[in-house]
Amino acid sequence: MKRSQDAALWFLLPSFCFVALFSLFPIVESLRLSFYRMILTLPWLGQRMVGWENYADLATDPVARDALVTTLLFIGVTIPLELLLGLGIALVLNEAFRGRGLLRAVVLVPWAIPTVVASQMWRFIFNDRYGLVNFMLFGADTSSYLAPLADPYLALAAIMIAEIWKTTPFAALIILAGLQSIADELYEAASVDGATSWQKFRHVTLPLLKPALLLALLFRTVDSLRVFDLVYVMTQGGPADATNVLQFYGYKKTFAEGMIGYGSAIAVTVFLLSLTLALVYLHLLRTSRWKEAGL
Amino acid sequence: MFIARAIPFMLALVLALVHGVFVGVAYAQTTELRFVTWRSEAPEVWNQGIADFERQNPGVKVIREIGPQSSTQLHDLLTQKLKNRDPRLDVFVMDVIWPAEFGSAGWTLPLDRYFSKSEQQGFLDAPIAANRYRGSIFGVPLFIDAGLLYYRKDLLTKYRVAPPRTWTELVDAAKKILTAANDPQLIGYSGQFKQYEGLICNMMEFILGNGGKLWDEVAMVSALEQPAARAAVRFVRDRIIGEVSHRGVLAYEEPESLALFTEGRAIFHRNWPYAWAVANDSERSKVAGRVGRAPLPGFSPAQGAAALGGWQIGVSRYSLQPELAWRFAAFMTGANMQKRIALATGRAPTRRALYDDPEIDKKMPQLKSLLETFKQAAPRPVTPVYAPLSNIMQRYFSSVLALHNTDIDKRASFAGRDMNRVLDLLRDRSTP
Repeated sequence: MKRSQDAALWFLLPSFCFVALFSLFPIVESLRLSFYRMILTLPWLGQRMVGWENYADLATDPVARDALVTTLLFIGVTIPLELLLGLGIALVLNEAFRGRGLLRAVVLVPWAIPTVVASQMWRFIFNDRYGLVNFMLFGADTSSYLAPLADPYLALAAIMIAEIWKTTPFAALIILAGLQSIADELYEAASVDGATSWQKFRHVTLPLLKPALLLALLFRTVDSLRVFDLVYVMTQGGPADATNVLQFYGYKKTFAEGMIGYGSAIAVTVFLLSLTLALVYLHLLRTSRWKEAGL
Repeated sequence: MFIARAIPFMLALVLALVHGVFVGVAYAQTTELRFVTWRSEAPEVWNQGIADFERQNPGVKVIREIGPQSSTQLHDLLTQKLKNRDPRLDVFVMDVIWPAEFGSAGWTLPLDRYFSKSEQQGFLDAPIAANRYRGSIFGVPLFIDAGLLYYRKDLLTKYRVAPPRTWTELVDAAKKILTAANDPQLIGYSGQFKQYEGLICNMMEFILGNGGKLWDEVAMVSALEQPAARAAVRFVRDRIIGEVSHRGVLAYEEPESLALFTEGRAIFHRNWPYAWAVANDSERSKVAGRVGRAPLPGFSPAQGAAALGGWQIGVSRYSLQPELAWRFAAFMTGANMQKRIALATGRAPTRRALYDDPEIDKKMPQLKSLLETFKQAAPRPVTPVYAPLSNIMQRYFSSVLALHNTDIDKRASFAGRDMNRVLDLLRDRSTP
């Protein structure tokens, strides 16, 4: 017993080293840097320990507050829609019909496209002179074409649409896996009891799907808290900062302005936010599993 | 039998080994020089130039890394490499606003040793000043840009409108033509108003043209709250975008705004000198031959201001072969290369002598008339904290232009307060 455990530890070592080097070290280093004032373009200021100053600045920074609101709005709108659409797609793909295998593969295409490429594509779709959206709305009447990416509200909506298009397949995939784990006997038993399709969905599918839904929710929330590529390619945070999400703001501070300390404080804040959310979800997930097992 | 069959195989093996050795030797003798740049409008000229440089420097191979076209995004790519002290970056292009920042951060090599004062005198003053920071020179100017006003000569003639000398005249002229032409496709003014660096150039031209400025470089405080600056911003919002342009310009960088003009859908257009060649190329433009060009208007005649733009070549402090990197920078910015680039792309050279070059004069007779504009072009203030200041101003300008009913005075004072906080960092200089 002891021996096999030792061996297991040895086997774990390489992946632990990998995680330590590429995940743990950057996190710890960011945490350390966030307590310093360090501005790359002003090297004579040196690297000075300033304690919580960066975090105090961040708490009172109206741009950061707006970026947080934008990020939460982004998550709040996209994730429910992704899960709802994902559920719909998963229910369809779970039925037996001809060409199902092909359709399952096709649905995954948006998710498989690199985000930068997809973002560029959506930028073209929303273009105000030759965009597909305008063509579908107004046809050849180019004088009434809209400029979605030039309008603060529409620009944010455009990014949300691109995100939903891009990541719904991922939600659908997880939910589909959940659907397939539900035993057919349960539906047969419900049919024998005379349940309608809606009742079967409401009282059999949905409760048993809860873990899968929570898992999808967990992955999607943590992931969309870090939304960056779409903003970088489609709007660069504009117009009027309407699409300036937290990650993009942190990136700007760190890489464009060279404010390493302040940028790190933003990165750490985003990290803590997603950690908190992840822990809450994991807790929900565990309790829902227990209930399932009758504990 | 076996030997007979083995002979061709042995021969092939020997040949491969010999070949390998030779390739290896050739490889060992090659020095790689890494050059980060954007995609040029005339790649063949650049390829040719680089091939010439390689021929003049046997054993040198220039590896080009093509970065993003957008200045802002190329800046972020370069600063990441420089911050990490990447030795595999030798030489790179720099936007006119970077030399102070890069020099201050210690990322670029001061070139005073190679690039003497007398050599510098062969260049126009404004780009040399932009490459100077705390008494040292950090880059060699490659080409110069200044904001210009383009207009539809045919429309102005048809509706009997003179080229505008003031912004008010421009708005009135645009409204007159828009009403008379009654073409729903047509707009009055196309410029660059997206939230990015180009927004600063466009807005600075309006502000300077009204006698204002972005910030006071002596007192080191923001000047956005001054009445002249606020009035100029209000004019852009209410009259340029509100009356003669459309909201699409709030997402435009140079290419999109130029496309609108070359499609014949804009009466007036603000852009850099390169737009002239594009707008008059009948393959790329529907308005070729019907384009006029003038200095940008001001709020009173002869008060107009043009933002200074342009690109330089700098050498990385972390290059392992600075001598060679410098030779490459000198070659690319030399009279011969600048002339070839000018002839192929219409980019304006930075060397004074080229403005008297008969060949350039023949191909681009209009260039000489721009010399005065280039000499008077207004640089964006030179400071190592340009990037944060620019982001604050971009946020301010974009907010007041894109959001409805914003209080310009209030936003200006917020932006000014943020700018002053950044400018205060420079005061810490005295305390070590």
